[in-house]
This record gives sequence, structure tokens and C-alpha cells, in this order.
Amino acid sequence: MSTLSAASARHLLRHPAQLVLALVGLALGVATITAVDVATASASRAFELSVAAVSGPATHEIAGGPQGIDERLYARLVAAYPSLELAPVVEGYVTVRDEALQLVGLDPLAEANFLEPPSMGERATAAAPGSALADPAVGLARWLTEPGAVVLTESTADRLALPLNGRFVLQIDGRPHEAVLIGRDSGSEAGRETLLATDIAQAQEWLGLVGRLSRIEIRAPPGAAAEGEIARLAAQLPPGVELEPAQQRSQTSLEMTRAFTTDLKAMSLLALLVGLFLIYGAVSFAVLQRRKTFAVLRALGATRLDVLRIVLAEAAALGVVGALLGLAAGVGVGRGLIALVSRTLNDLYFVVAVSTVTLPKSAALEAVGAGLLTALVGALLPAWEASHVAPQLGLKRSALEARAVRLSRSLLIGSVALAIAAGAIVAASSRSLLAAFAALFLLLLSVAACTPGLLAGSARLLARSLHRASPLGRIALGSVAASLSRTGVAVAALALAVAAMIGVSVMVESFRESLDDWLGRTMSADLYVSAPGPGFDRPERRLDPRVVAALLAVRGVASANAGRAVTVSSPRGPVSLDAVTLAPRGYDAVQLTEREAQAWAAFERGAVLVAEPLAWRWRLHPGDRLTLVTASGPRSFEVAGIYRDYGGDGVLIDRGVYRRSWGDDAVSSLGLYLDPGVASGKIIPALYAAAAGRQALLIGSNAGVRALSMSIFDRTFAITRVLDWLAAGVAAIGLVGSLLAWQLERSRELGILRSLGLTPRGAAVLIEAQTAFMGLVALVAALPAGLAAAKLLVTVVNRRAFGWQIDFHLHGMQLVDALRLALLAALLAGLYPAWRTGRAPIAADIREE
Amino acid sequence: MLALSGVSRSFREGGRAHRVLDGLDLAVATAEAVAITGRSGSGKSTLLNLLSGIERPDSGRIELDGRDIGALGEPARTQFRRAHVGFVYQFFNLVPTLDVEENVRLPLELNGVRGAEARRRSAAMLQRVGLGDRLGSAVDALSGGEQQRVAIARALVHEPSFVLADEPTGNLDEATATETIALLSTLVRSRGATLVMVTHDLALAATADRILELRDGRLRPRS
Repeated sequence: MSTLSAASARHLLRHPAQLVLALVGLALGVATITAVDVATASASRAFELSVAAVSGPATHEIAGGPQGIDERLYARLVAAYPSLELAPVVEGYVTVRDEALQLVGLDPLAEANFLEPPSMGERATAAAPGSALADPAVGLARWLTEPGAVVLTESTADRLALPLNGRFVLQIDGRPHEAVLIGRDSGSEAGRETLLATDIAQAQEWLGLVGRLSRIEIRAPPGAAAEGEIARLAAQLPPGVELEPAQQRSQTSLEMTRAFTTDLKAMSLLALLVGLFLIYGAVSFAVLQRRKTFAVLRALGATRLDVLRIVLAEAAALGVVGALLGLAAGVGVGRGLIALVSRTLNDLYFVVAVSTVTLPKSAALEAVGAGLLTALVGALLPAWEASHVAPQLGLKRSALEARAVRLSRSLLIGSVALAIAAGAIVAASSRSLLAAFAALFLLLLSVAACTPGLLAGSARLLARSLHRASPLGRIALGSVAASLSRTGVAVAALALAVAAMIGVSVMVESFRESLDDWLGRTMSADLYVSAPGPGFDRPERRLDPRVVAALLAVRGVASANAGRAVTVSSPRGPVSLDAVTLAPRGYDAVQLTEREAQAWAAFERGAVLVAEPLAWRWRLHPGDRLTLVTASGPRSFEVAGIYRDYGGDGVLIDRGVYRRSWGDDAVSSLGLYLDPGVASGKIIPALYAAAAGRQALLIGSNAGVRALSMSIFDRTFAITRVLDWLAAGVAAIGLVGSLLAWQLERSRELGILRSLGLTPRGAAVLIEAQTAFMGLVALVAALPAGLAAAKLLVTVVNRRAFGWQIDFHLHGMQLVDALRLALLAALLAGLYPAWRTGRAPIAADIREE
Repeated sequence: MLALSGVSRSFREGGRAHRVLDGLDLAVATAEAVAITGRSGSGKSTLLNLLSGIERPDSGRIELDGRDIGALGEPARTQFRRAHVGFVYQFFNLVPTLDVEENVRLPLELNGVRGAEARRRSAAMLQRVGLGDRLGSAVDALSGGEQQRVAIARALVHEPSFVLADEPTGNLDEATATETIALLSTLVRSRGATLVMVTHDLALAATADRILELRDGRLRPRS
């Protein structure tokens, strides 16, 4: 190791607190990025694995609408296409002991085709019962003949306390069915933890799909001949049945989560951005401590490049170590975040159970790279400062401060330019989410840019006004202004964090209130009835028609909305279709964004209403056409209107039109309107009684369902809040680092004051007054940009990320929270310097060098 | 050979310019030792900064071995200083995170001498200043006189043509100062280097071949 490197390394090791501070800040930023990557990648991977575990080696799949496919089609295709291996699948969601599982009905004889070549063996253990049983021959016989025979993975069976050959009850849309566990699969379990395998005929019976299939999987051998067969098969499929590549289903589902994951990623980058200021503070401190050493090195002939290299090499080392620590911590935090992310994905997109933690190599490299880059960028300015100070100026601070004052004035102009650039980016890009985030970052950087100038100006102004009243106050404020190179950066970091916090909290609260308003209007019914079970728009979730009739006949029920939620396909991807029969009061519940008068007339004639997020994503406007694949093939529907929807991104269609187009008369849920004066609490027992013995029901009151919706919202945004506070925490640590650097510089000034009689407590009060002042300036700087950031998040980022529009809601408490954050961070950051000043020996501080 | 002709240097203080050096001339022969005295603020340190290429004159020429270092760019002046100049400071200015031997090895490494050769030369130099048994010691564990001896070893280890000393005994007691002066003079002379030292210490100045006084921005022989 060269002497220069040795000197660097020893300096860092001799100041462990400083080293830890820098590493913690950087590691927090990297950990946040990694945690988000781990959580989203693990959830995505789990979903892909569960799809792969069911679909195995299939290359294509044939799927129908909500009613599935006629099973006779499978027999015809097997006979017509002997070169293709086909397997029928029936699937749906079931509940076993309060746990959601995916029921997969398979035909073991057809599945045998999928056993070759040997690499397909994983599917065999997942699907076919034989391999999971002690005696495969006996097992196959039981699979085919024993009513309710199912196979589960060993770990899931253990978790649910289901012994081999044990009987248990599974629930499908509130109806109990008896099952027997004939096999426990102990093979590789990736993606199969949620699978409950059974014979296809059994699945058809349980799911109410007798004679129907959910899909037919195809395994086509490679080569042009098979491609020709596939093309021929696709052309001969009956209307309403479609062929698509096997990966299409998982890709489409994962694509729907993109906006959510991008939002999380942006929030984590914000934490790293604040971490950058922390690195700046720590490296500045290290440079400051060695100003004399650098001056000596320069005098001995070290070039500017040599000094620059020393500081940047230190930063790079810090960056790598901090990033690796962050990576390790991020994986740990990510494990915790997985539960939150999975729940959000389950609430918004699809059911997934994450059992293994995944961090893609590219994401790990990206996180380490981001940490390294952040450290280098954060160290660039102090490194430049260290290398550009002429040797004889090594001990003079005034030149540097004069430059900082000049720079702060330029930065004020830069701040305005950044804010204008942010506006220009938003105006120039109509849909790009990346551009919206870029604008957001520029806006936040504009806060950082204007803060030093604002701090210096306000400190000088206040110092002048205190001239006669308090010489000590004047010293305190004058000192803040005179050490702008340190105080400016510290306050800029805090202002950045406060602005981000204001922006995010106002956005979240605006969203929350918009959602509450929307729920108030949308949920006009008094009671909501549905069949219990996982999956919002699963076709097997249907109310028994006799139960529907009995519920509507209950005394006190005036009218009802009836809905059928299913997923149908379209040339642009799957669509969540909500087929409704609306009671007269139900029309007001749909909040149309435009053309309200004409929309309902068109709706009743067969047009559809499109939810705002889908309309945004697919660029649909009233009057456009939307093609959906009906039971009789693709059909173009007029878009009659766009409606506000924070709960999904589907399409609303009249139930009569749906029934005629898809041949499905089922009802998934009811919204009941009660007679005036009838209390919902009193009628619920009567409703349960009406369905007793036929079907278990989920009956929720208006207030209960609204409360549940709001709790889902709060759960969804819990991650955002966690990241927000993390960013603020990093900023507070950064402030401590910068204040320590500053305090080191002014120890002589404080020493003189103490030698003149200022008590340690007085010195501490002085420092705390200064940090409180800096906290207030940070708040003042952060307020306008924080509100602008909130506006940007509410009107631009949300629109582009999710497609919905939310109303801007601002409350005094949000600003009070920002004030609390700014003051708390500033006062806490001042504690250690204040304590240190009180204990420092006066003689050492006032000694001339 | 060191030659300064018509060298001027001003600084701004508040709103007005303060001329520290005003058309200064100086000629120092190779291997000559010159002591420069003067009152505080007379410009002695500024003169050393100009001689070492740390600063540039506002006007005039500074030639060291025929090269006008005032005309060189900053990187070239740094390269020149690294190769041809050794510094001895009043406050030693040793790097606290390096041990004795590493401090002395530093100029060698800056000049591209590395590894065993650098260690051998720095150890030999420390032997010459009487600290051969303190190679691995921390510099802040040494006495003031010892620290200055390390600084002298560091100033001479890369065999510079010019040694510039800024109050080299200003922080030492009388006995140690005498020893240090003797050591510095002996080593500089034995290597044929040119020595320019700035000092208030007349005893130290008396060891030089010539004593000059800096007054009103110019050098005059001290009477």
C-alpha cells in the first residue's frame, strides 16, 4: 500500500464514528433500493413459479371466457393434432382452513404426455399423483376413483396440519366440500406451495364447471412443422376460444404491476438521493480535518489530481463497503417488505404466496453501482475543494466561504432554472412516468439549490436586526451565515427531506380523501353480499341462484344491484369485466367523468363504461370502440363513458348484454338497498338465515366495507410512509455530520466565548438555537417546493402511474408534521455538537496554531 | 542557480491592494545558503511561496536553474516542486496518520520511487538524522526536535536542488534549535543543495553564507 493510501485508510479508521455515519447513510439508501427490489422481484418470481408449476413445459394454451371451454373441444383436438401434446386443466381458488389455495384439476393420462423428456419431471411431481405416493399404482387408482382425492406439497400439508389420508373441508364460493389428502409431495416445491392438485373431473364438480375446462395446454415440439400445426389449430378454434403463448398469462399479469413497482423504485431512489447529501457531509468533514495534511502534500509536490484521487478513492471504498452493507441489510429489510408488497399485489392484482427471497444479480449490481456512484458524486465537491486549495491556503477558510457565498447566489438562479426545467418536462411529456419522476427530482433539487442562499440571507438579516438586542444572538446567526459551505449543505439536505415528506404526505392524504369521497358515492347500497373465497373476479365465485332469490325475498330488502365479476380477453390483454344490473339508486354510484347524460342511454343499448385507469392505459375515450372476446368471438363495444375507479381498472357492462354475449347468468355479488327505517344490523341475521344450508355468505354493511377498503389503502401506502421516514432519517443523520464539521471549524470561536464566561450550558443553548434556526429555514425553503411536489405527485405522477385522477387535499396538520420533522431533526442533530462543545477544553480550542 | 528579477506580488485586503513584494531582485548561487530576515508581515513567507512555485508573481521573473517557474502552469510548477524543492516548516507539518519512515518516504513515492528502494532510502536518510531506531514510531510520539529532524529528512530524501526553510527553529528550544541548525546546514551542504531560509533567529541566520533583510518589498543585505 502506498503511503498516500495508508494515510487515507488510517485517517478513516482513526475516526470510527465518522466512518460509521457515512456508511450508515449510504447503506440505508442502498438498503432501501435493495429491499424494494427484493420484495418486488420475489413476488414476481413467486407468481412466475406458480404459473410455471401449473403450466409446466406447455408452449401454448387455449383459453375461453368466464365459462371456460367445452371439454369436447379437447377430445376433438387430441384426435386432430396427434403431433401436439395436449393436456386439459381446470383451476380455481379454494379456501382450506382460512388459507387460499389454487385448485388445479388435471388429467393424469394426458399429463403423462408431459413427462417426456426427463427434464419435465418437475411437473410430474407437481401434478401427477403417483410420484407423491408410496405406491404409485395404488395412488393413481385412488386419484381416479376416490371422491375428494387431492395432493398437496408436504410443507403446506404440515402448515395446515393435514395428515396423509386425513379428511378435511375445503370451501369454494362459500360451499363446503369434503376432500382427502392422498399424497404429500416432498419434491422441489418452488411455486407449488399454494397448489392443491386433484383429478380434473373432481375439480369440474367442485368448481361448478362440469363439461367445461379452464384451458387446454399444448406442448409443441420445436420446428416449422409444429408451428404450422399450431397456426392451423388456432384458425380452427371456435368463436370465443383463443390460443396464446403459455408465458403470455404471467407476463400480462406482471405488466399490470409495473406502475406500482415503478412508484416504489422512485421512492427508494429518493432515499439514496438524500444519502448523497450525507456522503457529502461526511467526506467534507474528513477533508476539513485533513486540510493541513492536504496542504502539506501539495507543498511536497502532490498534484491536484493526486489529492482528488485520494479523496475519491476513499469515497469509492466507502461506497463499495456501504453498498455491500446496504445490500445485506436490504435483503433483510426486503424480507419484511415482501409481506407488505405481497398483500398489496394480492389486493390489487393477483394472489401470490412468496416463500423464497429473490434478488436478481442485475438488481444487486445495480444497487452496488448506485451506492458507489452516489458516494463518488457526493465526494466530488469536497474532493475538488481539497485539490484546488493552494498549499498556503490550506489553513484559510475565508476564501472557501467567500466562494460558497458566491456559489449560493448562483444556486438561487440555478434553483429557479431547475424548477422551470421541471415544469417544462411535465409540459413536454404527456404520458411518460419517467419524465414525471425526473421533474419531481428536479423540483426537489431546486429546494436544495435555493436553501444556502436563503439561509445566508435570512441569517444576515436577522443578525442585523439583533445587533443591539443580543450580541450573542448576532454571533450565533452571523456564524451560520459565515460557515455557509457547511451549514448550507446541512440545511439543504434537511430541506430536501422535508419537501419530499410534504409532497408524499399531501399526496397520500389527497389520495385517501379522494378514495373516501369516491367510496361514499360508489357504495350507495346498504349491504353487500358475495360468496367468500380468494380472487376478486374468479368465475367460480358465484351466488347460488336460489340463494339470490331468497335474499331478495327477505322482508326489508327494497331493491338490489346484481354484479358478475369475471376476466375476459381482448386483443389488448385481459379485461376485468363487471356485468351489472343496477337498481334505480345504483346509477348515481357510478361517477362518470364526462358525458354523463348520453352515457347511460348508450350503456343500456349495449355500450360499455371503462374505468379511468384502463382508459388511461389504453387511451380510450367516450365514442371509441373496445373489442372483447365474447362466447361468440371478438365483438366491438362502444365506449359510452369513463368512470372513476380506485378499486380496479375494469369495464362495466349491462348484465343483460353480458348474459347474451357470454352465456353466463351467474351473479357474483349483490348490493342490497333496504326499505327506509330498516337497520342493516337487524336484517343481516335474516339474510344469513335465508341462505342457511345452501351457501356460506360474506355480508358486509356499507360502513364495514368502506372501513375495509380504507384499511387496504392504508396497507398499500404503508410502504410509501416507511420509505418517506427512512429518507427523513437519512437526512437527519446527514445533518449531524455537517454540523460536526461546522462545529469543528468554529471550536475556536466557541472557545473564546467560553473563556469570556459563556457556560457549557450557554454554549449548548447557542448551538441548539442555531440548529433550530436552520431547521426553520429548511422548512421555509421546503414548503413551496413540497407543495409543488405534492401537486406534481397528485396530478401528474398518479395519473401517469395509475391512470386515475385524485383531488388535491391539504390540511394544516400536514404542515405541522413538516415543522415537527424539521425542528426535531435540527434539534437532535445539535445535541451531540452541543455536548461536545461543553466538554471540550477551552485552552485547546483557543490555542493559536 | 536561483535568480529573481523585478518580482512583485500584491494582495487585496478589504477594498485595497497591499503590495508585499515590490520589484524584488535576488541571485543565489548553487549550493549557497541564504538567510532572509524581516518583520512579521514583511512578505518572507510569500517569497518562499513564490520560490517554490506555490504562488506566481504579479510581475517579474523567477528562474531556478534557468527555468522561469513563474511562467509555468500549475501542474508543471507542482512537478517542479516535487522534484527539485524540499521544505522544512516551523510546525514540522508531518502527516499524523503516517509513521516516521512513511513520512520520509512520501516525497520519494511522489517522485515515482516505490517499494524496497524507497524504504531503503528513507531508512538511510533517517539514519543520517539520528532516527534510525525510530522508523516505525508515530510522529506525535516524538519530541519537537525529533519531529523537526524527520521533517529535515523528508525535505532532503529525494535530493532536491533547493531547500526552503520557513522558521525551522521557531518552535524549538535553544539547545534543540542549535542541534537542528547544525544538522540542516551539514546535510544541505553535503548534498550541494541551495538553501533559502526565512527566520527571525539571528543565530540561525548566522550559519548562512549570506543574510538578507526583506523590507518595503525588497531585499537588502543585513547590516
